[in-house]
Amino acid sequence: MTQPSITPWKTTYRQLLDSVGPHAPALRNSLAGLAAAAVLQGLALACIVPLFVALLSRHDGAAALAWLAAMSLLALLATGCRWLGQGFDYTGRMADATHRLRTRLGEQLRRMPLERIQDKRAGEFNAMLLGSVDENLNYTLTILNLILAALLTPLATALALACWDWRLGLGLLLVFPAIVPLYRWRRPAFGRGMRKLAEANARTSADVLEYTQGLPVLRAACQAGDKAQRLQQSFADLERLQTIGHRKGARPNIVITSVVELGLLLLLAAGVSWVAAGSLDPAILAASFVIVVRFGEPLATFVLYTAILELIESALERIQALLAVAPLPVLDAAAPPNTHDIEFDRVSFRYAQAERSALEDFSARLPARSLTALVGPSGSGKTTVTRLLLRHADPQQGGIRIGGVELRAMPAEQLNRLISVVFQDVYLFDDTVLANIRMARPDASDAQVEAAARAACCLDFIERLPQGWQTRLGDIGGRLSGGERQRISIARALLKEAPIVILDEPTAALDSESEVAVQRAIDALVRERTVIVIAHRLSTIVGADQILVLDDGRLVEHGRHAELLENEGRYRRLWEAQARVKDWHAGRYGMA
Amino acid sequence: MPHTDLPTPPAASPWRIMDPVRGQIRLAMALAVLAAMAGLVAMGLLALAVQQLLEHPGDWPWQAGAGVLACTVLAYLLRLTAFDQSHYAAFRLETLLRQQLSRHLAQVPMGYVESVGAAALAKVIHDDVKALHVFVADSTPLYARAYVTPVLTLVALLWLDWRLALGALAVLLVGFGVLSLAMRNRQEMVRRYNAAREQVSAAVVEFVQAMPVVRTFDSGQATFGRYQQALEAYRAMLSEWYREAGFPARFSMALLNPLPTLLVLLWLGAWLNWHAQLGFATWLAVLLVGTGMAEAMMPAMSLSHMVDKVKLSIARIGQVLATPVLPAPARPGQRPADTSIEFEGVSFRYTADADEALSEVSFRVPPGSITALVGPSGAGKSTVARLIPRFWDVAAGSIRIGGVDLRDLDNDELLRHVAFVFQDTFLFADSIAANIRLGVPEADMAAVVAAARAAQAHDFISALPEGYETLAGERGAFLSGGQRQRITIARAILQNRPILVLDEATAFADPENEAALIAALSELMRGKTVIMVAHRLNTIRDADQILVFDRGRLAESGRHQALVDAGGVYGRLWRSYETARHWALDPAGRHVAVDHEESGKTP
Repeated sequence: MTQPSITPWKTTYRQLLDSVGPHAPALRNSLAGLAAAAVLQGLALACIVPLFVALLSRHDGAAALAWLAAMSLLALLATGCRWLGQGFDYTGRMADATHRLRTRLGEQLRRMPLERIQDKRAGEFNAMLLGSVDENLNYTLTILNLILAALLTPLATALALACWDWRLGLGLLLVFPAIVPLYRWRRPAFGRGMRKLAEANARTSADVLEYTQGLPVLRAACQAGDKAQRLQQSFADLERLQTIGHRKGARPNIVITSVVELGLLLLLAAGVSWVAAGSLDPAILAASFVIVVRFGEPLATFVLYTAILELIESALERIQALLAVAPLPVLDAAAPPNTHDIEFDRVSFRYAQAERSALEDFSARLPARSLTALVGPSGSGKTTVTRLLLRHADPQQGGIRIGGVELRAMPAEQLNRLISVVFQDVYLFDDTVLANIRMARPDASDAQVEAAARAACCLDFIERLPQGWQTRLGDIGGRLSGGERQRISIARALLKEAPIVILDEPTAALDSESEVAVQRAIDALVRERTVIVIAHRLSTIVGADQILVLDDGRLVEHGRHAELLENEGRYRRLWEAQARVKDWHAGRYGMA
Repeated sequence: MPHTDLPTPPAASPWRIMDPVRGQIRLAMALAVLAAMAGLVAMGLLALAVQQLLEHPGDWPWQAGAGVLACTVLAYLLRLTAFDQSHYAAFRLETLLRQQLSRHLAQVPMGYVESVGAAALAKVIHDDVKALHVFVADSTPLYARAYVTPVLTLVALLWLDWRLALGALAVLLVGFGVLSLAMRNRQEMVRRYNAAREQVSAAVVEFVQAMPVVRTFDSGQATFGRYQQALEAYRAMLSEWYREAGFPARFSMALLNPLPTLLVLLWLGAWLNWHAQLGFATWLAVLLVGTGMAEAMMPAMSLSHMVDKVKLSIARIGQVLATPVLPAPARPGQRPADTSIEFEGVSFRYTADADEALSEVSFRVPPGSITALVGPSGAGKSTVARLIPRFWDVAAGSIRIGGVDLRDLDNDELLRHVAFVFQDTFLFADSIAANIRLGVPEADMAAVVAAARAAQAHDFISALPEGYETLAGERGAFLSGGQRQRITIARAILQNRPILVLDEATAFADPENEAALIAALSELMRGKTVIMVAHRLNTIRDADQILVFDRGRLAESGRHQALVDAGGVYGRLWRSYETARHWALDPAGRHVAVDHEESGKTP
């Protein structure tokens, strides 16, 4: 997006046809209908010329009647063609096409590498795209109709007019299509202006969000409202850029229109001269007047809607880009693994757009049914290890194997069946409690769901909910505590009965009382499984079979708790720091 | 959508939103009307020019021609100016509304901000205000033209030839008659359309945000199914609307197109002209202006759909601005006598229909003492901490600082006495120095550095590429949670206010950072009156006073040992704290409860 690129209209047309899928032939027909309507309308208008000539110059009533009839017929045909063309919208084809497109995009989101949709901004972007597909496409036909009417109608009229007076016809042919090169010449600048404005809007949007998020702090510091200088400055900057953008961007559009209008005026003035000189029938000139003033309005409308055309173009481009993301490849599918030991073999990974590797030459073996803890400061690569195991992305170097089978050789569903995850942030869906747990295994019986819920210490609070198992979680919103939500997510993980369990700081955000219950639930979950845990509180993992200490993407130490303490290295320093903290208490004399 | 929780104020005219720039908008509309008039005059003069040409072929109709040119240029300039004025007014309005909204949010109860959500409010301030553009900037000149031009045209037509005028009017009336048929169910349809759209949006957000969960747990049916269901409902709705409105909409569009009017005027005019009942010049003039009625209305009608959407934005802006602000002190100018804090019979609920978050809570924090608030989640301890900066007003009872009711304290006076460190650290996208200096803009660099030193933040700040000038905030995501928290503590140290409220200030620190954080906090708390919300009970064993909350009530209070011995709520909390602290993961079921002091050779 650094270069102000213009998509050729042909590309846009192809993308449009591609976006409507099986409706493409119908859309092509519909566009042909609209184009035919525009041409027929131009021809109908041109009939005014012979009509006036018949009435005014020749006083030929029969001919006048014939031309009037011809004009009416052409107008009727134009209406008919347009009627059929608009049918694409009105018979629900467009609605169906956008529906299919959204379903396709949704499926694509489920297929593409998770890494590509993980980052929050990308998530919002996708949500926006999915949400607004129809908003952009629903206008397509209306806009195209306007554009065709603005361009083809004058063209057809001009050609017909040339039969009576080649000078007027040629003049019209020269003046009118001039809008296209003019418009395309202005477009890069127009695009630049739009982009600058979009950037300014994005900045203000970010500043506004910062303001509302930081409002407690700003208010506590007495810096809210008019005193939030950065915010007020941002508003002022945006207005300034909008004003400049308007001068540079929107006004040239009007100038383009007026160039054409002025051209028409000049042409008519020339016509008057030709009549004055006796080389042009005044009836033809009068008819030209009536015709040419008709063109002003479609032209103005066309310019008004070009902005929407840009929106449609960029939406189409983004849709194509999203659809073009390839899913992670699956090599020749091997047999599913029998054992569930995990091996990281010299794995290096760098996130897209990151400057440094998130994981560098990382090797580890996690025996089946063992407990492995990942320890290290934030940003050291712990989460990356789990994400690679879940195959959110493939490492650039090295390989990961479960039970000896390469992740790349496992179809996505097979891999997903092997692993359960309990995240720090719990995501519950706007559905019943029952459905939220059962989603892990749709064919589970009620008894199995209940057993999972019992093991995860959920039964007591689920039974207290207004509609018990059938309570919709969206309706009760924040009424569940963090611990209760976490326990539902653990019940879900339990029900799945996956042989590998990943725990990503599941108790970090909980208070002690909730924590005890969640801990009990976790005890049930990890029994007899291969477990990977990310933990800040080192005391929870002293019993681990293996502790991997990460720093800056590298494995710096590994071993059991006691061994690592002996080592007097990184882990020991972490342990001691934590012990010191445990002994701190707030007293009158500060640190005790 | 959090907006649905809010009371909807009576629907005012959407035009009221333009009040701050009313004058300029009126000017723009007046200019647009003048432009339309000049355009009509140009058409009339054009007909006159042709008549002169017909009467005196060979003579250039200079006067009429010049008139046409002048009127056309005038119309063009007027239109351009109208367009400019409405756009500048729209930009101004955006700024004014955003200023008004941000000012308003600084005065409403914080509870409102929290219940609606920062992101939703930011959307109102940015997106909804931005959405006004099409209404304020684009549609106002078009509206002016749409209402005035048809009337002017009709008057001109009647003056030229009443028979043709009636013909043109008839076409228009039939067109609009059919159109109103198409619009018959519009309100209801728009409502259903918006409802279906909203469902799609919700499903999309859930589908995209929850994708990691969807991938691990959902074989596809549940979430994708909900997404598809919402899409299906939307398609069905949209198809129905199109089908129902299809015929009348297409029919009226066909009629309101200039061509039918032109045809009627041509047939009628040709007949009249043939029978010498209509001069050619008059007929020509009618033909030139006659289709203007329908033409002026079409763009405004196609805009009306977009303006409809703007109405939702206007309503949301109105809702935010209609939220009542915290009342100003009835007796301003009072000063706290000391740094004590007193709650007397305080009851509070977050919303009118919620359970009481606090009921009849009374306690006193003497100057210079440390008070800890503990209790299970939802017990009310954070509520107590957040009532002190007056994020909300209490429903009953009173809160006093140094003997003065919070409601009688000027905001500035309150903030001169109290500093806050919140659980969620918030750094602004500004330099680290500016972040520390927040609220004390006059502090010099030496003071900033001293505060950072005391907060154990100086070392890591100095190690940053640009030191204190490094940008923090979202763009500075390289700082760890503990480091960010220490910057906010440096902020509080620099503010140096006698009362300190800490809301779980150590919740999100990793072990290495936590030690430094604790040291920073100790520095900050020196010599202050402190109220702190705590989860880790061992940190408050030496507090002067522990207030134990349970379901909104103050259940117990006292010092650590006495409360443990009493064996009440605190005793229970302490036991679970100890259990949680000694839990260790163990998939093999061996259950090795590890005690910190035994297993590690730590001091």
